[in-house]
Amino acid sequence: MNFTLLLTVAVSVCLIGIVLRLYVWFAQGIHPPPATFTLPQRLTAAGKALGGALFGPRLITILKSIFLDLLFQQRVFNKNTLRWLAHGLIFTGFLLLFFLHALDSLITEKLFSGYVSTLNPYLFLRNLFGLMVLAGVAIAVYRRITLRPQRLKTYAGDWAALIFVGGIILSGMLLEGAKISSYSTFQRMVEDYGDVASDQEQQALEAFWVKENGLVIAHRKVEMTTALVEKGREISGRSCIECHAPNTSAFVSYGLARITGPLAAAAGDAGAVNFLWYLHILFCLSFLAWLPFSKMFHIIAAPVSLIVTRIMGKENGEPANVLTRQMIGLSACTHCGACSLECSSNMFFESFQNDFILPSEKVQFLKNLAAGRELDTDTLKRLQQGLYICTSCDRCTDICPSGINLKELFVSSRYALLARGIPETSMLSHFSFPLALAQYRVDDHLKALKILERLFKKSFRVLADMVQPLTLARSGKFSNPSYRSCYSCQRCTNICPVVRSFDNPGEALGLLPHQIIYSLGIGNVDLAMGSQMIWSCSTCYLCQEHCPNQVELCDIFYGLKNAAIAKIEEGDRS
Amino acid sequence: MKFAFFQGCNIPVRIEQYADSTEAVLQIFGIELVRIPEFNCCGYPMRNVDEKAYILPSVRNMAIAEKAGLDILVICNCCFASLQKAKNVLEKDSALKDEFNTLLAKEGLTYHGTTRIRHYLTVLHEDVGITAIRNKLVNTCKGLKLSVIHGCHILRPREITQFDDSFVPGITEDLVGVTGATSIDWRGRMECCGAALAGLNDELSRRLLQEKITGAREAGADYITPICSYCHLQFDTTQTNMAAEAAPGADLLPVLLYPQLLGLCLGINERRLGIATNRTIKVGDIDHIKSLLAPPVEEKKKKVRQQAA
Repeated sequence: MNFTLLLTVAVSVCLIGIVLRLYVWFAQGIHPPPATFTLPQRLTAAGKALGGALFGPRLITILKSIFLDLLFQQRVFNKNTLRWLAHGLIFTGFLLLFFLHALDSLITEKLFSGYVSTLNPYLFLRNLFGLMVLAGVAIAVYRRITLRPQRLKTYAGDWAALIFVGGIILSGMLLEGAKISSYSTFQRMVEDYGDVASDQEQQALEAFWVKENGLVIAHRKVEMTTALVEKGREISGRSCIECHAPNTSAFVSYGLARITGPLAAAAGDAGAVNFLWYLHILFCLSFLAWLPFSKMFHIIAAPVSLIVTRIMGKENGEPANVLTRQMIGLSACTHCGACSLECSSNMFFESFQNDFILPSEKVQFLKNLAAGRELDTDTLKRLQQGLYICTSCDRCTDICPSGINLKELFVSSRYALLARGIPETSMLSHFSFPLALAQYRVDDHLKALKILERLFKKSFRVLADMVQPLTLARSGKFSNPSYRSCYSCQRCTNICPVVRSFDNPGEALGLLPHQIIYSLGIGNVDLAMGSQMIWSCSTCYLCQEHCPNQVELCDIFYGLKNAAIAKIEEGDRS
Repeated sequence: MKFAFFQGCNIPVRIEQYADSTEAVLQIFGIELVRIPEFNCCGYPMRNVDEKAYILPSVRNMAIAEKAGLDILVICNCCFASLQKAKNVLEKDSALKDEFNTLLAKEGLTYHGTTRIRHYLTVLHEDVGITAIRNKLVNTCKGLKLSVIHGCHILRPREITQFDDSFVPGITEDLVGVTGATSIDWRGRMECCGAALAGLNDELSRRLLQEKITGAREAGADYITPICSYCHLQFDTTQTNMAAEAAPGADLLPVLLYPQLLGLCLGINERRLGIATNRTIKVGDIDHIKSLLAPPVEEKKKKVRQQAA
């Protein structure tokens, strides 16, 4: 197949992909509902913000961001030098190869008048840059494998990116190595550029290139006397060296040629060069076509996200831009897992085995929510739980190397999901505390609590609704046996600051502290679990501390809360 | 002396001044606090939902400190109680300990239970000692009336926390006393700030908070000194939110953290102590505190003179 055709296809796919993903920036979002703003409204708002940033004092901030965030990768540097090194090696090596080697006819030739790809320093630098990328890829692979126990998740897409990048470089090096050892390539070059007068001179030149430049001649025996090699060196100096540096300067490819040369010669050296050329081109072009549809789109999205974050911090700008920023953020995620490694809630992942507790997994999946895809109830429930089990410590937002405002994304997604009306038992955890403190979306929060309350009312019978007299029929055992020591002095209820807060505590709380202990005494755990009291307990432990008979009231209440949630979750599953 | 500094989740992002002032004060007494980025949440937020999920994170944190060969120093009450609780539970339940250790082994950690959990007030009171503190004082703050609120999870249940006498706590009395300030007796000193109900039942949570604010004011407190980070957030942030809703510009009961007060008496710059970062404190309040600062020497002289007479 024709190279130009392949290139045209790859570039077209890449461009179409980029346009599609840029369109998505302005068409989708999480919250407020994307329908709130039209595409032109969002484009105008973004344009205004961009204009304001480019033509004003913020230009300095942008320049600072380009140097510190984009080129130097300060956010990664501050957190982890090894990761910074890996990214730096890949980023620098790959970019230099792209501009100086892949685009040599457009860039290098224009910049350096004497440019010939087989001359130094180009020959040497190509190998150096390639080796840099390979070293970076090796560190990345090492990191992905060794950090698996620390909850670093790796998808097929992550491996694919590493395989593509590593594959481009390796295939390039193998191709160069094959050319070094190939007799037909040598012959072609001698015919095109060489100044060889006789067969003897040809033999001398061959001997020299076999001896010192990795050429492999397998189809016949080559005479290798010192005199012949020296003569070959002289001919080479006269007719080759001007445009071709010694192959040893291509230090990686030359080394590879030593290994692959005999194999290639046996299999047919011209065929090997041809095959590797296709392989290299195929790697490069398929990477180009794949780029906008993969995490490699971060090449475009992450710089935008970093600059926006440098300017805006964690603040939200124009309402019409909030959605756009969410989408830029989602597309800037490289699934590097830095957030999950530092996530303060990461141990809850071990307890609940819900991937969505890890921020990197949430942010990867939220694209589906933003795109308005239909999600099954089970996935929604897990996502909702994962979004709620969060200490609001902001570590993920501070660490994200792509500068994604994860905090805002997670808060928005959390309430967007809760609004769908699926009850979330994690709301009863103290993860609700920082939310109440920050007063995010107070009304949405209250609505979601009401939904949960209704579920509780449906699941547990309360004392006031019971018509039949209470029996001693045991409805279940309770794990903390200290309730048995209660001798009904009611000191717990008398000292309780919550009971004291109500004019009619019995009505407001369902059961009073001592009545909960009585319920356990008659074996009615369900009655105790269903009382409002346990959810109104301020966990101050005054009752427990003052109990003359060491009934562990507050601990019992915690146990009842755990059991009530477990029962509801179970009922929900069955 | 060196400790692994356990800040929890609230302090680094919402009450940095508490960590900074504690660090500054302890530094004067040669105590170094090592910040360990691997620490995660203490588990407390999950306590209502699942006891095992609540305990596991603290076990990991203690295993990390063990590996570093350090005892843990804690500021936040709820973190303190969670770590102590986890330690206590695993002492009694070796099956659970084995289960958690199998899990931790994946990341090369093991929990043996050798790390001690220390509250910063205990370290000041026991390890440094009142006399050593007095010797370093540059100022005292006579005439300042503080309402200390201990927060619940540091005092109770006493078998787990083992902090102080849970009915008549003395550590804070001694520590406030040495600065010359008065820790007043007030209704609510030992009670709940309502934090555990915030987000679950805001109305009740705020009612409990308001009761404490009123109680402290009625007893004549100039400032409230919360020990727990949750109490701090209730008094500093929720109080501000409540006031903004009820009557904008209303007078607030200002928060002054203990290491901020001690820091001033030790001659540490108020900026480093982050006093102005407390939301409820006004410039006038800071000036008021500073006007009360006076070298402790005079007191000694007076005593000498009295004795001479």
